[in-house]
Amino acid sequence: MADQTKAMFQADLVALVPRLRRFALSLAGNRQDADDLVQAACEKALRNAAQFVPGTRMDSWMYRIIQNLWLDDRRKSARHGAAVDPDEALLSDDGKAARLPQDRMMLAQTRKAMGELPEGQREVLALVAIEGLSYREVAETLQVPIGTVMSRLSRAREALLPKLGLGAGRRQ
Amino acid sequence: MDKERLAAFADGALTPEEAAAVVMHLVDHPQDQAYVDDLMAANAALAQAFAAPMSEPVPARIRAAIEERAPEGAKVVPYARRLPLRMGGLALAASVALAAFLWPQTEPLRLTVGDVPAGSRLDGHLQGLPSGEVAVLESGAELTILATLPTPQGLCREVEVIDRGAGRVDLALACRQPEGWRVEVALSEPVPEGRAEAGYVAAEGGDTLALTPWLDRLGAGLALDAAAEAEAMARGWQP
Repeated sequence: MADQTKAMFQADLVALVPRLRRFALSLAGNRQDADDLVQAACEKALRNAAQFVPGTRMDSWMYRIIQNLWLDDRRKSARHGAAVDPDEALLSDDGKAARLPQDRMMLAQTRKAMGELPEGQREVLALVAIEGLSYREVAETLQVPIGTVMSRLSRAREALLPKLGLGAGRRQ
Repeated sequence: MDKERLAAFADGALTPEEAAAVVMHLVDHPQDQAYVDDLMAANAALAQAFAAPMSEPVPARIRAAIEERAPEGAKVVPYARRLPLRMGGLALAASVALAAFLWPQTEPLRLTVGDVPAGSRLDGHLQGLPSGEVAVLESGAELTILATLPTPQGLCREVEVIDRGAGRVDLALACRQPEGWRVEVALSEPVPEGRAEAGYVAAEGGDTLALTPWLDRLGAGLALDAAAEAEAMARGWQP
């Protein structure tokens, strides 16, 4: 890769880091693993930079690398079920996100419930609800049919909503 | 209407025409409307729950990996994300010198639960050290006020003391009472070893996490920004 192209590639990657960390955090459930994932993904992206097609979406490409590394890691460590320690769910964000204690608890519950979802559902929910990708973009990123995206999303929400005190026969 | 369609509506995944049809449907189907509200609430909670990295600087080790160079310096940088941007090298050096000058005391500084004696070194730091600035103690340990948080009972400050010699991080929450500061909770844990050797510590999560239940119990709100903190300092931390 020419120096200038490489410098641009690196600058684009740095600019993406906040979103990559957010995605990795929503998968891994804790900051340490999330940052390890992002770092490993960036290193892999640099090694495979020739495979990136300029003009295509670098965010989707990076989400895919993170997701693959995360799944590899999960398989190797054979850790299944909740990746989020119940206490880790309370990870501090300096109070930026939550103004009131009940908000903090809601966010803690959300992190915990996310960590209890199966990997496939967690990925889809993170990309749709947090990263704001369309169903088609998620399907392309994860290389699964769009129907799979929708069914995983549906199952994820069936599990998630009751844990957040939502969707259980609520009336207006 | 089936749930997948309502979900696609909540996710913004429908065409404008399809979305308009759902809107019409929701007018006289309050249960479906409630479901859509719940989906949107869950999406908002998810977005908020993992939002912290969006307002944080790129961690040094990740930047270094991207730029293919070794991380700069072998400096332990705990809570890097909390440090305010205004803290430049010169300001830091000045604040360290000032802190050493203003509070030259001999007794070791301890973070223990109870009233902070007026005029003690800890009292001095709580009174006058802005959040994010580092004060080097005589023992070589580094004291940082991580944040100032409002609670219904008054202002509280998170204090961190890193003693790398002893391999320990102490963390405390001190709250302002009418008569002075009081440490409400004090915690201690080892400096994460592997990280310190690698030259970079992101001591986030583990120990701040321990304070979270206390902050919740106190009803703590958003950390004050630099200007609000300076104002609070100027009026002696009174509400």
